[in-house]
Amino acid sequence: MSAALVPAWKAVRRRPTLLAGLILLSLFVVIALLAPLIAPFDPILQNGDLRLQPPSWGHPFGTDNFGRDIFSRVIWGARVDLQIAVIGVLFPFLIGTTVGTIAGYLGGKVDIAFMRFIDIILAFPFLVLMLSIIAILGPGLKSFYIAMALVGWVSYARLIRAQMLVLKTVDYATAALSLGFSGPRIMFRHLLPNAIAGSVVFSMSDCVLVLLSGAAISYLGLGVQPPIAEWGVMVAEGQSFITTAWWITLFPGLSIVTLAFGFSLTGDGLGDLLGVRE
Amino acid sequence: MSEALLSVRDLSVVFSGEDGPRTLIDNLSFDLGKGEILGLVGESGSGKSLTCRSLVRLMPSPKLKITAGTVTLDGRDITQVSEAEIRSVRGRDIGMIFQNPTSHLDPLMRIGDQIAEGIRVHRGVDGKEARAVALDILAQVGFPHPSRQYNGYPHEFSGGMRQRAMIGVALSCDPRILIADEPTTALDVTIQAQILRLLMDLRETRGLSVIMITHDLGIVAQTCDRIAVLRHGRLLEIGDKRDVLGQPQHPYTQNLIASHPSMPARQGTAVAPNDNAASKARPLIEIDDLHVRFPVTGRALFSGGPREFSAVKGVSLQVMPGETVGIVGESGSGKSTLARALLGLTPISEGHVAFDGADIVTERTKALRKLRRETAMVFQDPYNALNPRLTIGAMLAEVLAVQESVPKEKIPERIGELLDLVGLEREFADRKPLSMSGGQCQRAGIARALAVNPKLIVADECVAALDVTIQAQIVDLFRDLKKRLNLTLLFIAHDLAIVRSLCERVVVMYHGEIVEEGATDKVFAAPREAYTRALIDAIPDIDPDKPLLSPKGGEEFDEETPGLVTGEAT
Repeated sequence: MSAALVPAWKAVRRRPTLLAGLILLSLFVVIALLAPLIAPFDPILQNGDLRLQPPSWGHPFGTDNFGRDIFSRVIWGARVDLQIAVIGVLFPFLIGTTVGTIAGYLGGKVDIAFMRFIDIILAFPFLVLMLSIIAILGPGLKSFYIAMALVGWVSYARLIRAQMLVLKTVDYATAALSLGFSGPRIMFRHLLPNAIAGSVVFSMSDCVLVLLSGAAISYLGLGVQPPIAEWGVMVAEGQSFITTAWWITLFPGLSIVTLAFGFSLTGDGLGDLLGVRE
Repeated sequence: MSEALLSVRDLSVVFSGEDGPRTLIDNLSFDLGKGEILGLVGESGSGKSLTCRSLVRLMPSPKLKITAGTVTLDGRDITQVSEAEIRSVRGRDIGMIFQNPTSHLDPLMRIGDQIAEGIRVHRGVDGKEARAVALDILAQVGFPHPSRQYNGYPHEFSGGMRQRAMIGVALSCDPRILIADEPTTALDVTIQAQILRLLMDLRETRGLSVIMITHDLGIVAQTCDRIAVLRHGRLLEIGDKRDVLGQPQHPYTQNLIASHPSMPARQGTAVAPNDNAASKARPLIEIDDLHVRFPVTGRALFSGGPREFSAVKGVSLQVMPGETVGIVGESGSGKSTLARALLGLTPISEGHVAFDGADIVTERTKALRKLRRETAMVFQDPYNALNPRLTIGAMLAEVLAVQESVPKEKIPERIGELLDLVGLEREFADRKPLSMSGGQCQRAGIARALAVNPKLIVADECVAALDVTIQAQIVDLFRDLKKRLNLTLLFIAHDLAIVRSLCERVVVMYHGEIVEEGATDKVFAAPREAYTRALIDAIPDIDPDKPLLSPKGGEEFDEETPGLVTGEAT
């Protein structure tokens, strides 16, 4: 295993963007894992005496209108937000990649059917569709993930399909066909690995978008339920105090931006590494 | 030649990479006289293109630097002049044309305007006058209707016409020197002959000096006055073409000349026709009145009803076991479609194809099973033909595992044998295609084809993308394998010289039909059809005294792909 990792590490070291992105992301992962140890206060503990305190040594990020320590809430929020970003992208990625591969490779009626179905999904405004699905399933993160998987796969399917349409005419695909390889083998073993780079890069920027939709859904009261600490919810809650207590929105907002930055640096670096731009 | 127009002395170009500097061009010196055509010959990586780019300081990478030497034009050293001055040298003094006109013409600009642009920039004339000059140039480079074709976009023209347009763009600045970088490599032979003739005519009428970069010694022999042979950035030999081709001094040049497929020495080694095979055995391939049609997409909405394009029209052909048949024709002649239909990779519209007695149309399942286990293909572009993510060993192992022809534990051994067969070191099992040369990849591709123990190998332009010495090696490999494994070989090529040296029988295709077929010797010695004769005459022979083309030959055959442009209904 370590022998395989050495070239990977070499490739990463030569790309400062990728390295910076990965460091940033792992920082968030560490924070999320160690949240119980680092956070100085209970993130949901309310304290009427400490309401709307500005940042100080005791509460570096200040407190909110319930007297909760924002620093602790931001740290605990990393758990929820990382989960949203990863799960919210993983399932759309898997579904979309599979559908796109099959539609692009088989072409013809299968392709037309899938593409028209995708058109139908795209015809609805994204949030409206998400909201209706969550409304049917009932509010909560699980519904959010299901809704995301049902709606978010379309971009991946289209990306992969476009790549497959090009790749299936490449000579090594014809060679595989003429050697009697089965359809699934050609699709998933030979073509998909060569088609997937663009989607991997896109999934990184998609993490950012999912993070923001998660925040939007939570803001509407359909995602993360209070009092759980989640950055999007915290931004939303601080909105009414923005002129008097800016710290409530600023620090979770900064966290979202920094995490997003980490994802997009990683995405850029991966794109370079996988040769997407060549 | 009188005194030199351009004089290169001790030119060196160094690439400073991560592993330290590498000298790519080493102490190169040559002169170019007025009205002279100098051929720069060498294989890929010899530095011939880089040399010419260095002359006008158009380095393909900022890591490349001219470290020493002078390039003297009009008494000044253009390696030292300012950026503004070199810009006026580019185009006005030295024009360039490239191998692929499609990527060097602006697709969104009318062809005439692209020529007029250079005239306006370099000669400082207004739009109307520039247009008049551009029309004149269009006529000079052989556009039959300049005023109408002025308004055409590059995609509306065929490859040959695009190359003419690119020459027109280069001429628009009225240069004294034209650098032609493999100007005809992407073109069919008859078109190539026309373009070469055009360049020679331009030399006559304009007194143009030309540096012709090419890997094809035939082209050099036909067009150039002097030849410079390059290898690894060094000039091995330079001199009058008759001297260099007649008495090559350097062993590499001798090898290069020996590798040229039109040499009589090579013809002698062609496989002797196999007379006895024809009578007794059953044909391995039987093609009867085959039609392949494709729907023309993107036009159906307004043109009323689906339109079709016929790629293969009523072809009948029989191939005996052990035979080597060459299928020749220009691009769009349907030769690749024929091969794909034969292997069951393209649906057949009409007619019958049988492989070893199994009909692909009526007994599809049975025939396909047979085809997949007993035939294999070798492709043109060696890099595209191999999955870039698999090592050669993994690729071969997969074929062997899927075909189940070898027990699992014997697979590594068989991979070694296959690599031996195609002349690759066994270490190549662990390499990926991108770390290998084109010739090595092509050998790996052939190893993959052999992994199925095929009766039939279809090679589709499998040497077209390779250097001549490598081409010769691959052709030798095929000849050797054929003998050892009793293969039937269907060799598709546009290069008639290679077909002549390898195949016993040749089939000439034109616009989806077979126009001539017969024993290679006979067809080449006495072609019955005018088209075949035009194809053969268009091959630039390495003997400078065999002139290229009877004048105007080959032009009676239009170079457009039929149907593709007009959507020919069937």
